[in-house]
Amino acid sequence: MPCSDSTARTIKACGDDLLSIRLGAARDAQAFAEQLRAAGEWQEVVAGIESVVVQFDATLITIDEARQQIAAELAKGYTPKALADVLLEIPVVYGGEFGPDFDAVCEQTGLSAEELIALHTGREYDVELVGFTPGFVYVGGLAAVLRIPRRKQPRQRVAAGSVGIADGRTGLYALAGPGGWPIIGRTTFTLFDPQAKDPFPVRVGMRIRFIAVSAAEAGL
Amino acid sequence: MSVEVLAPGLQTTIQAGARVGMRHLGVPASGAADPLSLALANRLLGNDLLAPALEVTLVGPTLRFNAPTAIALTGGVAQATLGGEPIEFHSTIIAKQGDELAIAAVEIGTRVYVAFAGGLQAQEMLGSCSTYMAAGFGGHQGRALVEGDVLQLQKQNTNTDVARTPQEYRLAFSSTWALRICRSAESDLLQDEQLGELTNTNWIIGRRADRMGMQLDGPMMSVSSDGRMPSAPVFPGTIQCPGNGSPFMLSVDAGTTGGYPRIAQLARVDRHLLGQLRPGDHVRFLPRRPQEAIDALHAKHNYWREWLPGIERVI
Repeated sequence: MPCSDSTARTIKACGDDLLSIRLGAARDAQAFAEQLRAAGEWQEVVAGIESVVVQFDATLITIDEARQQIAAELAKGYTPKALADVLLEIPVVYGGEFGPDFDAVCEQTGLSAEELIALHTGREYDVELVGFTPGFVYVGGLAAVLRIPRRKQPRQRVAAGSVGIADGRTGLYALAGPGGWPIIGRTTFTLFDPQAKDPFPVRVGMRIRFIAVSAAEAGL
Repeated sequence: MSVEVLAPGLQTTIQAGARVGMRHLGVPASGAADPLSLALANRLLGNDLLAPALEVTLVGPTLRFNAPTAIALTGGVAQATLGGEPIEFHSTIIAKQGDELAIAAVEIGTRVYVAFAGGLQAQEMLGSCSTYMAAGFGGHQGRALVEGDVLQLQKQNTNTDVARTPQEYRLAFSSTWALRICRSAESDLLQDEQLGELTNTNWIIGRRADRMGMQLDGPMMSVSSDGRMPSAPVFPGTIQCPGNGSPFMLSVDAGTTGGYPRIAQLARVDRHLLGQLRPGDHVRFLPRRPQEAIDALHAKHNYWREWLPGIERVI
């Protein structure tokens, strides 16, 4: 079955063994990724914010076959899951040594420190995506005024627990490592615990509220 | 049946196969950055091709054997001695109890692999024994080796027949590389002449190069992006370009999603070379359509299959 033009626009090669499917919304990407994983035929099925990328084994299947199978799954349709009834409170120490970009973000947005903290802690958010590194959490729904871009030059190392904002989202760095998001604070909330029965305590669909705490309260 | 670490080298880790099927949880591939060299070392000992072995980075370790053990060395070019005597790469070597193995600085390429008959004992985590240092799991306590570490072998095995890698299967290492790439999701954000520049430039591997990825030094690439791209899946070999115009190529320990435009993707056929690219090396990227790159992969598999049955699991 040849791909229609619209399928060709939706499913695009992004490497010789990688196909990207554009879905538009995070919840659609999550739902379609889950459906593909359930089919169990792919090496990797990874959701981004607006897309899903499938890695297939080119020794078992041709790129055209892979494309057609994905198109057939798309044609079946998919149902986004309801949000989980879990509200996590994430303590954050804002600014100072724990938020090296906090002052720059205030300057960029024209907000005072108090206003920035009030805005960030003032609403409930949804976990849109986990990924990047084990335990990294993408939290959606940031206030429009906080919609700033990533740093032009990523940092070689941000501290574990760093709280960054970029592209309308809050990102929680479970691990120390390279990172490109402006960092406004730090949390001591456990985002990844390899020793635990479930190493990934934060899941897509959970709700999040940030709580401003002092370094002493956080034990930092 | 143990091996003691007298000097750890710059960054020596236990690596085996990659973690597969976990990227949606943010768990990277890890595993040997040059899995072909890992497989060649294990092959000489009759091990599974992806059995846990040591991956040595730029400066080698000194190890002491507390029991007789068959070993094999492969990978980048380096001098090595056992009990003070020079030893060959690509050959089964029998170490006696008390022997010290010393591997000097890697001169060409970046990584050397040391495999042990029967394989090393290693912590299995999320489907692989490979060390993932950023999260501190897998391998030996989730980290690079330090002086005084004692590594256990899975079993004592010195009855291995002495084998040597046939000449035609010994990888030639150099400081210049030609790597096949395909277009990626945001290649269109590069202006046409820049896409040409990507493949017409002698790129130099930058000083920032490790198992996460490496900087590509060369002309500034201008991408029409404002730093607000929604995070999207990335893989080993994905070439991204941030707003500063300086592209980088991801390697085996890189995160699973990223927010900088994906301007190209290293083809599977050449991804095993990521682990040998060294700061200062020159790289040319060869543009390929996906099907051409896959045909090249099949050809490479066909070449290696006779010496390494199961090569499809390796590269």
